[in-house]
Amino acid sequence: MKQALSLIALIAATPALAEDTRELDVHEHGVGALNIAIEGTTVAMEFHAPGADIVGFEYTAEIDADLAAIKAAVATLATPLDLFVMPDAAACTVTAAQAELESEEGHDEHDDHGDADHAEHAKEAGHTEFHAEYRLTCDNPDALTEISFDYFETFPNANEVEVQIITASGAQAFEVERDMPVLQLGR
Amino acid sequence: MTFRLAIASLFARALTVGMTILAIALSVALFLGVEKVRTGAKASFADTISGTDLIVGARSGSVQLLLYSVFRIGNATNNVTWESYLDIAARPDVDWIVPISLGDSHRQFRVMGTTQAFFEHYKYRQGRSLTVADGVIMDDLFDTVIGADVASTLGYNVDDPIVVAHGLASFTEHKDQPFRVSGILEKTGTPIDRTVIVSMEAIEAIHVDWQGGAQIPGQSTPADVIRRMELTPKAVTAALVGVESPLQTFALQRAINEYPEEPLLAILPGVALQELWGIVGIAETALLAVSAMVVVTALIGMMATIFSSLNERRREMAIFRAMGARPLTILGMLVFEAMLMAAVGALLGVALLYAGLVIAQPLVDNAFGLWLPIDAPTIREFSVIVGVVCAGAIVSLVPALRAYRMSIADGMMVQT
Repeated sequence: MKQALSLIALIAATPALAEDTRELDVHEHGVGALNIAIEGTTVAMEFHAPGADIVGFEYTAEIDADLAAIKAAVATLATPLDLFVMPDAAACTVTAAQAELESEEGHDEHDDHGDADHAEHAKEAGHTEFHAEYRLTCDNPDALTEISFDYFETFPNANEVEVQIITASGAQAFEVERDMPVLQLGR
Repeated sequence: MTFRLAIASLFARALTVGMTILAIALSVALFLGVEKVRTGAKASFADTISGTDLIVGARSGSVQLLLYSVFRIGNATNNVTWESYLDIAARPDVDWIVPISLGDSHRQFRVMGTTQAFFEHYKYRQGRSLTVADGVIMDDLFDTVIGADVASTLGYNVDDPIVVAHGLASFTEHKDQPFRVSGILEKTGTPIDRTVIVSMEAIEAIHVDWQGGAQIPGQSTPADVIRRMELTPKAVTAALVGVESPLQTFALQRAINEYPEEPLLAILPGVALQELWGIVGIAETALLAVSAMVVVTALIGMMATIFSSLNERRREMAIFRAMGARPLTILGMLVFEAMLMAAVGALLGVALLYAGLVIAQPLVDNAFGLWLPIDAPTIREFSVIVGVVCAGAIVSLVPALRAYRMSIADGMMVQT
């Protein structure tokens, strides 16, 4: 009897196990993340920031004002050199830039979910994140000694950006805060 | 005149002055020594891995993964399955990948299973490769390559047999699969020195007759049978990864961190090291503060001895005054004496430090794998000496001012 019960319990539990793996990224308001990789004259950057930092809300935008705010934010995030100002001497130009808003559950792998299911998930988690990817060409990468984070002026809700940089000499991490919005690379 | 008097006076009180100087010397040596160990430890940690873009292991913390995979400190929470390893290896952005399998030991040394590629891709001290001091890199299933410390501690030579134990500090040894030392590595100053390296297949071979942590009774597969077996690894502890281009590093890191089939973690070694220093930094600062406190204590000790010497020297001071020395001269003499003691103490401290380094360097290197470089004194050391001399002068002002005020009245009074 006991065995039968545990077997039933197992069968009952199986669908839940089989559904999919569940995981959730960390999400801290006020803190964005910027990854920079430099190889030769190419600079690849990716940027993540919580919706709260960029537009001030993380619920699903439904009214026009919110939708417009998101649209404007995405457009601003697509101009990296205005947010993360590189020295003129480095002669950097943007070759590709794209920004988007993604909700925590908005990963593409969830194709099997219905749209309704999706929306429900987003409401449950209630967190959204802006995500941007850039590719720059810097004619003189050696002059890339500092980056000014005008980002903090553009987005008053942001307080900190965690920066990771990979160069020929290895990987390094920095924290750039609102009070000291300049990152010294000291290369 | 004052200088001569001061020096003569110091010599006259050689014992107490000597003790004071010794206290200052020891405190300065301690202070500078702490600094040396701190920077030495940092450099030796930072030099342990270079040229590796990502380290992959089971999902835990980045510092933990770095510690167990590179420094052999602590243990893995989980292993990575061979399937996941192959999945990562097959990604187009992976230039090279080297598996690491830990968990067995030989005496007090860890056994690491890996592939030939490890010798090609593992770099230390800004891109230096591992080189074999004696023998060759393993090419047989039962070959091992041992680190310099393993060889010197256990007295192994090339072709010596070696028995690998299962688990750390375990008494059950895998007696039936005798390994052979095929090569001894050059000393690196990294944890590799204290590692026995075997092939991934060898790790599997050791466990052929083992089940549930114990040997199956009466069963012992001969070596030539094991050779014919398919020894595909089932799991790896961690993997070192090099990427095709640095630009792909973050994308690969994210892909591994979000790998749906198994919870994995990919870390940037440089960033994880920085995180580690963030943690260790607090202890470092505390250590430095304590040693600075010791210097302060020694200087206060000097102040105390000057104070007590004032008592003995009441008559002496009065005679100086009677002979026409101005109060300022007395003050100057006392301050100069103190500065001289502090300076001699500080210089002796630096000398002690270097003597200590010469003696301790090989011992520390052997015991902790920590290489303390013996460099010429830097600006830092000089500034410590100057600082101690200045602090000595300031500290001595307290008794000197007392002498300045009291010298005549005190000494002339008839007291017995």
